[in-house]
Amino acid sequence: MVELWFAILCLMITLFVVLGGWDIGAGALHFLAAKNQEERRAIIAAIGPLWTWNEVWLVATGGVLFVAFPRVLAVAFPAYYLALFLVLWTLILRGISLEFREHIPSVLWRSFWDFVLVVANVLLAILFGAAIGNVVRGMPLRPGTPLSLPLFTDFGVRGMLGILDWYTVSIAAFTLVCLCAHGASYLSLKTEGEVYRRAKILTKWLWPGTVFMLLVASLETEYVRPELFAGMAAQPLAWAGLAAVAGGLAAIFTALRSGAEARVFWGGCVLIAGLLGTAAAGLFPVILYSTISPEYSITAYNGSSDASSLRAAGYWWPVALVLAFSYFWFIGKHYRGRVRMLPERHGTQ
Amino acid sequence: MTDDAASWHRIQFAFTVVYHYLFPQLTMGLAWFLVAWKWILLRTGDARYQEAARLWARIFGINFAVGVVTGIPMEFQFGTNWASFSQYAGGVIGQSLAMEGMFSFFFESAFIGAMVWGEKRLGPRDHFLATLGVALGSWLSGYFILVTNAFMQAPSGYAFAADGSMRLANLGDFLLNPWALIEFCHNQCAAIVTGSFAIAAVGAFYVLRGDNGTQGRLFLKWGTAVGLIASVIVAFPTGDAQAKMVARLQPTALAAMEGRFQSGPMAEITLMGQPNVQKRQLDNPIRVPGMLSFLAFGTFHRDVPGLGAFPEETWPTNIELLYYAFHVMAGLGTLFILLLGWASLQRIRGRLESSRPLLWVLMLAFPFPFIANTAGWITAELGRQPWLVYGLFRTRDGYSAAVSSGDAIFTLIGFTGLYFVLGLLYLFLVGREVMHGIGIETENL
Repeated sequence: MVELWFAILCLMITLFVVLGGWDIGAGALHFLAAKNQEERRAIIAAIGPLWTWNEVWLVATGGVLFVAFPRVLAVAFPAYYLALFLVLWTLILRGISLEFREHIPSVLWRSFWDFVLVVANVLLAILFGAAIGNVVRGMPLRPGTPLSLPLFTDFGVRGMLGILDWYTVSIAAFTLVCLCAHGASYLSLKTEGEVYRRAKILTKWLWPGTVFMLLVASLETEYVRPELFAGMAAQPLAWAGLAAVAGGLAAIFTALRSGAEARVFWGGCVLIAGLLGTAAAGLFPVILYSTISPEYSITAYNGSSDASSLRAAGYWWPVALVLAFSYFWFIGKHYRGRVRMLPERHGTQ
Repeated sequence: MTDDAASWHRIQFAFTVVYHYLFPQLTMGLAWFLVAWKWILLRTGDARYQEAARLWARIFGINFAVGVVTGIPMEFQFGTNWASFSQYAGGVIGQSLAMEGMFSFFFESAFIGAMVWGEKRLGPRDHFLATLGVALGSWLSGYFILVTNAFMQAPSGYAFAADGSMRLANLGDFLLNPWALIEFCHNQCAAIVTGSFAIAAVGAFYVLRGDNGTQGRLFLKWGTAVGLIASVIVAFPTGDAQAKMVARLQPTALAAMEGRFQSGPMAEITLMGQPNVQKRQLDNPIRVPGMLSFLAFGTFHRDVPGLGAFPEETWPTNIELLYYAFHVMAGLGTLFILLLGWASLQRIRGRLESSRPLLWVLMLAFPFPFIANTAGWITAELGRQPWLVYGLFRTRDGYSAAVSSGDAIFTLIGFTGLYFVLGLLYLFLVGREVMHGIGIETENL
């Protein structure tokens, strides 16, 4: 039961990074891929219809963490207090920039929200990347002492740990590039004309950049948490994840050459899912790793709620999952294909 | 105040949740108006409803967006600010919070974009369905939140795990908590009152301005008629049932709501007065004898315990504010019935449009349901004190020990600034839509 909920949690995080990731990436590339108002509207229209649905994966992940692993929530959230509020405030700015922007057809109004959108999305990618870096690196957990991490210390990965150090910052940079590459793939699939052309150029630069940074990040991880790779080697699921990574990479790079943007996009989805899956399999059962002593770590077993709570949630969760995708399908069929911009209707300003 | 770290966490949660709930109450109130108008439009093709639905869908979209972005911090603050409580009760209240995400947020979020921007793309039938989806999703979301709150007010369906934390014993008992059912009816009707007042206010504005009479009349009709029915149901039977439940399950809350320190039969209801906790009395009281006994227990002679009958450590921690919040809510609720009753009567007699003073009152009255809803929630949450989970877990044991007061104040200030800007933008955008009125076609994204 606990293993199942660990898997569900990882699945939901993966869905958020893949689905919400293309919105974040496309939003971060807003200024690079679109140069005028008409082109920017195309990007908003490509993100617009389902970005909230995609973001709900993050909110729902928070809910599932709450019910399935309350101890993880109770230790990690206060420990990362300020960082989490930065995420929440950035989510607020991103949300209103997308929703308020379209209400007034004025260049000034829209340029302002375009700027907020780009800043918020870049920050979100960095913050989520730093979060992943922190989970992999671990935190100085000690029983009986409430943990509170400073935002930064001396940027070293040993001794006094901070949320940002050279390792978590480089994972954040990797995440930013990777999500931008993913966003560019999404835009090349959903847009036409100049935006499409620029998005294709961006994929040609960003995906190789992602691979390079992935190699660097892997070497760093080997240094920061050596036993992680040993753990992966013993996990058959991690091998499956690695196979997905290899498959995704192969799909991306053969398709980049031939120009098949759909295959680049799907390859990117598989690559990201494979990376997260591999990491999750290697980490299992540890969720919050203690850098002080491994036995202080909070695992899926000692951090979960009672079996009766997990069982109850096991009844409703699959139902909700099926329903969620049925709405996605209902709306998605109306927004299939590339966005075609209709001329602006109300030119009041 | 500052020597107690829990205070800052309480103030932050109270501020963010009060601010947040200004938006969902309008969302939930407007949603069924939109569904009704889209339905009439689908059946009759009446263009007035087309225009009405378009205008309010745009307002709805702005409102919904602010509701969403201010709602996400609420869920996360359980973990950041109330970690001990989350660890203690997560296996139970995590259920309803996770269900809200999985069942309602996916539901609403899939349809909201299409509802606001996709009228042409979806076509009449699917656009109606999208509107219905948003309405159902938002009400479902409200239900899960009220289940969570009901558990904190009157826990049911739980047991204790080996480590002393709570576990879910019965999902049905938890989800169908009688407190949640009554609170849901009361709260949702109150949300419809908010929506009705907003619609009536815009209607009165258009009629008074004199340039958009057709829509103005339509909004006045729907706003006053639906608002009257909802206001009555808020008071009776739902408010009445809620009060009886509080009397039975939270006697200290009832005593504090009424500023009642001494026990006794023929308990009087307080219309006005100022609670003086230091002297254990109500100053300058105006009271109706026997009414509290009757309203709380159905007989005039029943003994209603005052606060003096309970140990002081179980008293609500802010008796004064609890007393005033309750009286503001009940007083405004009564005024709503009178105002909407009078307006409906005038409308039936065909005199509403010529009663300019009444139209002015309707136009300016729209903030008051927001105040009444907020006061109602302050009553519910202060009445629950000093408990986080009533009778089981104290508020002062629930906050995050790892978070310093300095961090909590930092984020509280951050929220204050951000929400102030958000509020200005919201008022500007909604005001602009109302000024423009109808005749703008929403662009199709």
